[in-house]
Parts: sequence; C-alpha cells; structure tokens
Amino acid sequence: MELYVTLSIVLPWIVAFVIYLVKNDFVTNVLSLLMLPVLAYFAWEIYFSGNLPMLVDTPHWVDYAITIYDFGLLGYFLYQGIKNKSMLVSALAVLQLVLLIIVILMIEHSNTANIYIDKLTAFMYMIVAIVGVPIAIFATKYMEYDEKGKHSFVAILIWFLGVMNFAVSVNNIEWFFALFETTTLASYVLIRFRMDDQAVKNAILALWMNQIGGVAILFALLTFLKTSGLYHFTDLLNTDSKMLSLTALGFLSLSALVKGAQMPFHKWLLGAMVAPTPVSAILHSATMVKIAPYLLLRISPVIKGTLLAKLLIITTGFVFVAAAVIALTQENFKKILAYSTISLLGLMMLAAVVGTPIAITASLLLILFHAFAKGFLFIEAGVLEKVFHVKYIKQMRRLIERAPLTLMFIFFGFLNMTFVPFGTFIGKWIMIEEASGFLSHGSYVLLILYVGAGSAFLSVLYMKVLGISVRKSHGIERVRALPLPLKFNFVSVWYYGWLLFLTVFIAPFIATQIVPIAQELSGQIPNIHADNLSLVINTSTLYFWQILGALVILSLIHALPFFVHFKNVDTARPYNCGEAFPRHIETYNFVCISKYENYLIAFSIALFVMVLVLGGGLL
Amino acid sequence: MGIFTKFRKKSPWILHYNTGGCNGCDIEILAALAPKYDIERFGMLNRGNPKQSDILLVTGPVTKRCRDVLRRLYLEMPEPKVVVAMGACAYGGGIFRDFYHVENGVDNIIPVDVWIPGCAPRVEAVIDGMVEAVKIWEKKSKEKEYMRNHSEELLEQLGARNDD
Amino acid sequence: MKFETLMLLLTLFAPIIGGFVYGVERIVKARMQSRVGPPLMQPFYDFFKLMDKRPLMVHSLHAVMGIMYFIACWFSLLVLFLGNDLLVAVFFHVIAVLALTIGAFSVRSPYSVIGAMRELMHMISYEPLMVLMVVGFYQVVGSFNLKDILNYDGIPLLQLPVVFMAFVLAIPMMLHKSPFDVAEAHQEIIGGPEIEYSGPFYEAVYTGKWIEYVYVFFFVFLFGGSHYWLGALLVLFVFLFVNALDNATARLDFRKMVKFSWFVLIPVSAFNIIFLALWR
Ligand code: SF4
Repeated sequence: MELYVTLSIVLPWIVAFVIYLVKNDFVTNVLSLLMLPVLAYFAWEIYFSGNLPMLVDTPHWVDYAITIYDFGLLGYFLYQGIKNKSMLVSALAVLQLVLLIIVILMIEHSNTANIYIDKLTAFMYMIVAIVGVPIAIFATKYMEYDEKGKHSFVAILIWFLGVMNFAVSVNNIEWFFALFETTTLASYVLIRFRMDDQAVKNAILALWMNQIGGVAILFALLTFLKTSGLYHFTDLLNTDSKMLSLTALGFLSLSALVKGAQMPFHKWLLGAMVAPTPVSAILHSATMVKIAPYLLLRISPVIKGTLLAKLLIITTGFVFVAAAVIALTQENFKKILAYSTISLLGLMMLAAVVGTPIAITASLLLILFHAFAKGFLFIEAGVLEKVFHVKYIKQMRRLIERAPLTLMFIFFGFLNMTFVPFGTFIGKWIMIEEASGFLSHGSYVLLILYVGAGSAFLSVLYMKVLGISVRKSHGIERVRALPLPLKFNFVSVWYYGWLLFLTVFIAPFIATQIVPIAQELSGQIPNIHADNLSLVINTSTLYFWQILGALVILSLIHALPFFVHFKNVDTARPYNCGEAFPRHIETYNFVCISKYENYLIAFSIALFVMVLVLGGGLL
Repeated sequence: MGIFTKFRKKSPWILHYNTGGCNGCDIEILAALAPKYDIERFGMLNRGNPKQSDILLVTGPVTKRCRDVLRRLYLEMPEPKVVVAMGACAYGGGIFRDFYHVENGVDNIIPVDVWIPGCAPRVEAVIDGMVEAVKIWEKKSKEKEYMRNHSEELLEQLGARNDD
Repeated sequence: MKFETLMLLLTLFAPIIGGFVYGVERIVKARMQSRVGPPLMQPFYDFFKLMDKRPLMVHSLHAVMGIMYFIACWFSLLVLFLGNDLLVAVFFHVIAVLALTIGAFSVRSPYSVIGAMRELMHMISYEPLMVLMVVGFYQVVGSFNLKDILNYDGIPLLQLPVVFMAFVLAIPMMLHKSPFDVAEAHQEIIGGPEIEYSGPFYEAVYTGKWIEYVYVFFFVFLFGGSHYWLGALLVLFVFLFVNALDNATARLDFRKMVKFSWFVLIPVSAFNIIFLALWR
C-alpha cells in the first residue's frame, strides 16, 4: 500500500529521467505507453485498498531535502528573472526566499505525518493516470510533426504527472508550497518549450503570476504558524474551525484563485497556448489548474459558511460567467477552450467553497468530467493543428467534409461540457438543487443566477463553434476521411469510450465512487443514491430513461449526419433571395461584447481585492 | 393523387415576386391581405420563401436583372407548384413592352399556369386568379417541372449545380 | 398510476393540442386585426399539404437536424410531464435548441445563419429566467417535483407575482412572438432557422413549434398550484395577452431583447425570490 503510493509518486520522476537520458524513440514510446496501465493499476490499488485515509510517515532527511530543494527552486526562479530581465519574477523570488527563511525559523517540529492519502488523493491519482498519461502518449506522435525535442518534451510531461501526484498527497503545507512551485516550474519549462520570443514572454508571465500564488501560500503558512502553530492539512481540519485564522485560509484560497487562473490572473493560462498543444491539454485537464479546486476541497470543511466562502462564491461565480462571455469574442480555437476552462474552474471552485456534501459531489464531478472533456478537446485541437492546419475557428468551415471523425469527437467533447445527461451538466444541476435549499443569503441567489447564466453562455459558445464547422453548401457524399495516425485515434477513442461509459452508468458511478469521497471530505453523507441506473438527489430523480433518451438524441445529432443520406430527395441551393451566392459566410464574433471586456476584468479585480481585504482579513 | 391531395386547396402558400413592375400590382396584393378581403381565410399565407411555397405570384415585365433571380426562385420551389402571372406587364411586357431592359413577360422565362388580366388587376380578380390556380394545382403531380429552355448549361450559368 | 397515464396521453397528443392552440391563435390574431382568419383546422391542413410536397433539401445533415429538433422537443415535453424534476426539463429544452441551431448553421444561407445566431440570443435571454422561475417554485412548494406543485394547496401565483409577470413577458421570446420575434422575423430574415426546410422536413420543424406551445403554456398552468381552474384561467389570460402584445408591438433589436431580459426581468425575479426566501 505504502509502496504503491511511493511508486505512484516516484515512478513518473524515474521514467521521465530515463526518457530524458536515453533519448531513444522506442524507449520513449514504450515507456509512455506502459505508464498508462501501471499508474492506473497503482491508483486502482490505492483507491480500493480499503484502509483510506491513511498517513504515511517519511524519514527525516526528506524534510531537509525538500527545504534545500525549495531554496534551489527559488534560486532558479531568481536566476531566470535576472536572465530574462524580468523585475517581477526576481522580486517575487526574493520575496519568497525571505518569507521562506522566516517560515523555516518559525517552524516547530510536528509529529503529524507529512503524507496524507485519502480518497480525494486517490481520485486525483486516477485522473492523472487515466486522463494525463494518454496526453503523453499523444505527445509522442504529436512531436514528430516538425517539432524539435520530442524526448525531453515527453519526459517533462511525465515528470509533471509525477509532480501532480506528489502535490495531491502531501499533508505538510510547507511541502505543498514546494510542490506548488514545482508545478509552476514545470509549466514554465513547458510553455517556453519552443523558445521563440512569444513563448518566452508568455512563460515569464506564467512564472510571475504563479509565484504570487506561492507568496500567498507562504503568507498563509506564516499566519498559521503565528496563530496556532499548525501547518498540516489534517491538523487544520481537526481543530475547531473557530480557532483558525480566517486570514490564513483567505491567503490559501487566493493561491488557489491564482493557480486556477481566475479572472485577473487568467492571462497565464491563455499564454500557454503558444506551447505545443499537449501542454495545453495537460495543463487544462489533469494537472496544474486542478490543484486549485483540489486545494479548496481540502479546506472546504473549515471555510464553509464563513464570510470568506460567500465572497469566494461571488468571485468565482463572476469568473464563471465573465470568462464564458469573453470566450464568445475569441477567434482562436485553443483560446476559446482556454476561456471555457477558466470559466468552468470558477464553477468547480464555487461548488467546492459552498462545501455542503452535495456541493462537494458536484465539484468532484466537474473536476473529473472537465478533465476528460478538456483533455479530449485539446487532443482534437492538436490533431486539427497538425493534420488539418486549422487554428482559428474561421478556418473550421466545412470541417465536416474535411475531418469528419475529428469533428465528431470535437462535437462529443462540446456536448460533454454542457448538455443534459453528461457529468458536467449533472454537476451544475445538483449545484442548483442544493443552492435552492438555502436561499436566504443574497450570494446564493446570485449563485443560481451565475450557474444558469454561465451555462447558457457556454452553450451558446459551443453551438457557435460547432455551427461554423458543420457549415457546408451541399451534401456530404464526398466525405474524405483522412487516415489519422494510430496513436491519435487510440487516444481519442480512449477518451470517447470513457466519457460514454461513465455517462451511461453515471448514477451508480456517482453513488458508489464519488459520494464516498464527498462523504469523507465533508464528514456528512450526501443525500445522493442510485436507484438502479437512475440518480436520486434529495427528492428529485434523474431517471435512466431520461439519461438514455438524451444520450440517444445527442449521439444521433453528433453522429447521424455521417451515416444518413436521404436518397431520392432533390437538393436545392440555399435561399439567398435568388441572388448569386456569396463565397462564404462569417459568424458573429460579438464585437459588442469585446468593448466591455476591460470592464469585466476590472470588476473581477475589484472582487479579487474584496476577497483579499474582507476575506483575507487584511482590515 | 395521394390521400393528402384534397387538402391542397385548403392551404396554398404564396411566394410573391415583383420583377420590375410599377408596384401597382403589389399594392393590390397587399390590399388582398388586408382586413377587407383577407385571403388568409382561404388558408393562404404570403411566405416569402420559395422552399415552403406552392404558388409563385409574379408581377412585372421581368427585367434582365431579374431574369436569373426568377429562374432560381422557380427552381427552389418544390413541386407541385403553380405560377400565376399578374398584371398586363407580366403578360408580354404591358407598358414596358420592347424596352431595352425587359424580357417581355414571365412566359419567356418560366411556364405560367394562370394569367390575371388588368393594369392593375382588381383584388377580386386576384382572388379569382388564385382560385383558378388552386384548381390547376390540385391536378398537378409531384413530377419535376422545369423552366423554359431548361438545359445543363443554363443550370451551370445560374450556379445551381456547382458547389464549392 | 392514473396521473402517469394522463401525462403520457398528454405527451402523445401534444402535437395535436399544440396544433389546435396554434389554430386558435391564428383566429384570435385575425379577429384582433378585424379579419375573419383561417379555419380552426388550418394548421392541420397545412400539415397534410406539406406531406404531399416533393421532398427537397439542402443536404442530409440539415434535414436530419430538422427531424431531431422535433424529436428533442417532444422528448423534453415527455421529461417535463413524466420526469419528476422541472429543472431537468428546462435543461432538456436546450437539446432542441441545439438541433435547430446546428441545422440552421449548417447551410450557407445568410438568413439561416443569422437566424441561428439570434436563436442563441433568445436562449440566453430566457434560459436563466426559466431556471430562476423553477427555483422560485422550489421556494414555494419545497420540491422540484411536478406532482408536488400540482398538489400544492396554496397559490404559487400569489407568492411569485413578479416572477410570473417576468415569465409572461419572456413568453414572446420563447415562442418567437413580437416584440421579441427576432429569430423568426418573417419580414426580415424570413423565418430564420426554419427557412431552408421544405416539404416533409419543414413539417417536423413546424410541428416542433406546436409542441413548444404546450411546453410553455404548461409552465403558466403551474402557477395555479392545485387550483386547476386558476391555472386554466391564467393560461387563457396569458394566451390572449401574448397575442395582443404580438399584434400591438413592432419587432425590437436582439440587443434590446437581451438587455431587457438581463437588466429588467431577471433582476426583478431575483428580488422576488430573495424576498420570498427572507419571508419564510
Ligand atoms: S401590370 Fe400595370 S399596375 Fe401591374 S406592375 Fe405592370 S404596370 Fe404596374
């Protein structure tokens, strides 16, 4: 059991190192393929071992090693700041060094174990294995299309998975800081992977923004040490929540907001799109941004119902809507996906801070299904980019003729992000159901409005993008199914199959797998159970015939056009007042909204400051 | 002649197209829609959309600019369909006959089933013409109909075939 | 058991009921303009006539989407009647919008594409309001269950008057009636999303619209609670009101529609719900 945990954490580091050193095609391909069953098996064993949650003690030297590693990391940041002439990066690195020294001077030895494995951790392991590793497999093929440095790229991706596994299993907040900064480092290295001007610029942006999160964690740590002397998650959760300093929790949530690319700090996630597409896929789905909801889920029992939680609801909910609105104005396909990630991260965090057992279930569902769908969509974006040379949505015209299979996958991914029987929808639905129960505070009415409005905007966004790619003038008899590389197809079908499987069995899946995690996190039993294949929440039921019906209708909508051809039906030109035909039609890009983009961002900054001042208790 | 054929006369939908007349006829058509005559009581609707219409009501002498548009509209209408030409200029050009820019009547472009005489015809004449058109329409089958001088080259020229 | 059978029958006959509603509407509208108007059965005559037309399509995807729109509409009605959660029914309706807009986007007719985009604007306008309304019902009745609402002793209308007014003003958005018929806009974009359908394929879209009548007016009916006569009266009143509004107003810009919904209807309904929550 402890062996599995250790291996889950250490194995990706070793494999990454081997790939990096050997630089052999065969080794890279085989090892990345092997990681999938191996990591999935470990996660499975840990999840079903039955003796969760458990604490793992670590030898003393690891503590020292991590402290030294911390200094090395910050030193590296400082070096990068000086080398790239970025004042912000070096200043923040120095600030963190100073704070870290203070923390180390103040810290007292604690007997609490430093590794804490509970169901949430195992759940994140599972996501990393099932969603994250296929991206590395995808990258082994992707990087063969006129890119340099395939081996080191795949090595970094796999190492990133190891870092993620480590980050979700630590208990000590000081260690958590080290791993938080390591993910920052990993994203920095990945974003500037192509090493052109734009890439370096965006990487520096990502670096300093994420360092702000690091500073916030250090402040939180300082406050915890000052007020209670506790610096382990388990200790924090076990003490009376009134004893805890809300300021420290506020700072922790701030670091989550930064890591989760919430609105004033969303630019770094957008900047990540200059990197090769697997980077975006891995940042958006399994790793990096998922730390943010993870962190909030960890501390949700203690912040639930406080003023801080309400402020966070208002902020993240606002981001949920505003990012969806801004996404409408974008033209770059990857940017659209990035904005919808920002938006949905807002929703996940919102659900996490509401903190009731059902809301936590919603948050977990959103994390899982968002990871799957976004990994899927970014993989397809990579295929579009490399095989079909499509980057902007206006180039997606007539994609249905050129890339039918890829379009079908994209269609399915988009359906997963918002439509009825899929996991993301169920997350939203149970969020509204839950929030309807305690409407007496204005922020909860706002919550319902946010969820309703945000999902409407996201639906509009997806329909708009899909609409362009299905546009065509005449029949689709001339479908040219371009043969795609086997690895691309394997990864796509992998995600497709999982999503379909999970959606059909969503009720038992939620009741048997997600609910225990939520129960462990919140300490109460969420009132969700499965009645055969129907899902029952409080008094409302989502019947299986509804799930199946919606699934059938939606799968007909996304797959039928390729199979149904009406014979014996005349075709006519589309109606254009009988005039000769325009060559092509553009789509709306909502210029009227882009005028307000700066206002939206300004407002989100205001909300962020409000969280900082009121929730963080600076006053 | 299917079982639904007898419902045809209950709901003829009209596509009205002015091919460059003086607008006198169009005003009469509007009068037919207005409360005094109200052709909707016969189930007639002015759809403005060839894809869903049954009766093509053409006014005007067909200017050269309108010629191809008229052909396209005719081709876009699903069979069974009827063409009603309204007014003197639709029949051979009327006061515009032999002008440099007209085609001298609808009949040179598409086959016409009913003519409504007058310049401009009275509303009663319009309604009478419509009733006549419906009678002809009831007898028509779903066979494909073609415009005058229908040929592959003409379709090509109209852009009705090539897709991009 | 009896309730389920009734609801199943209602769903099965929904196209016919909706057709009659549409027929009555055309007469009422004509009378309001002092015309005679078509016979009551006119929608069905149209239906049968369309059956008899030669099928014509732009391409198969587009035709399939028209049929899927009809199926999704009908299914969302089934979910509304037989499911026990109103909220799910509201979200099911989005599937119908998806089919309609994907179909409309898939052809290269500018009218159709503009219409589809405006259809999405319609959805943005009424979707959050519907969610709020359902939450309002939850506040009053204490459950999202249809049966509980239909058995509720009080009158939801009295507790949700503002929400009711907002919903009545949102009905023109859902049914594409003036002043908010921007997606259909017959004189401007000639029916928008439905323009390219013809013959039997148009039939599917046409019938789908009738089902939407039943879907929308059933929500009005719910405001009567267990007082079914009140619900029926409300439906009658709202029906006449919406038609009068349709006749009396001119079409607005779609921006005005979205603004009206977002800055007037939704805030006032939210206030209604907050006050209700504080009151209890
Ligand atoms: S027939 Fe007479 S009234 Fe009609 S368009 Fe021609 S000139 Fe005008």
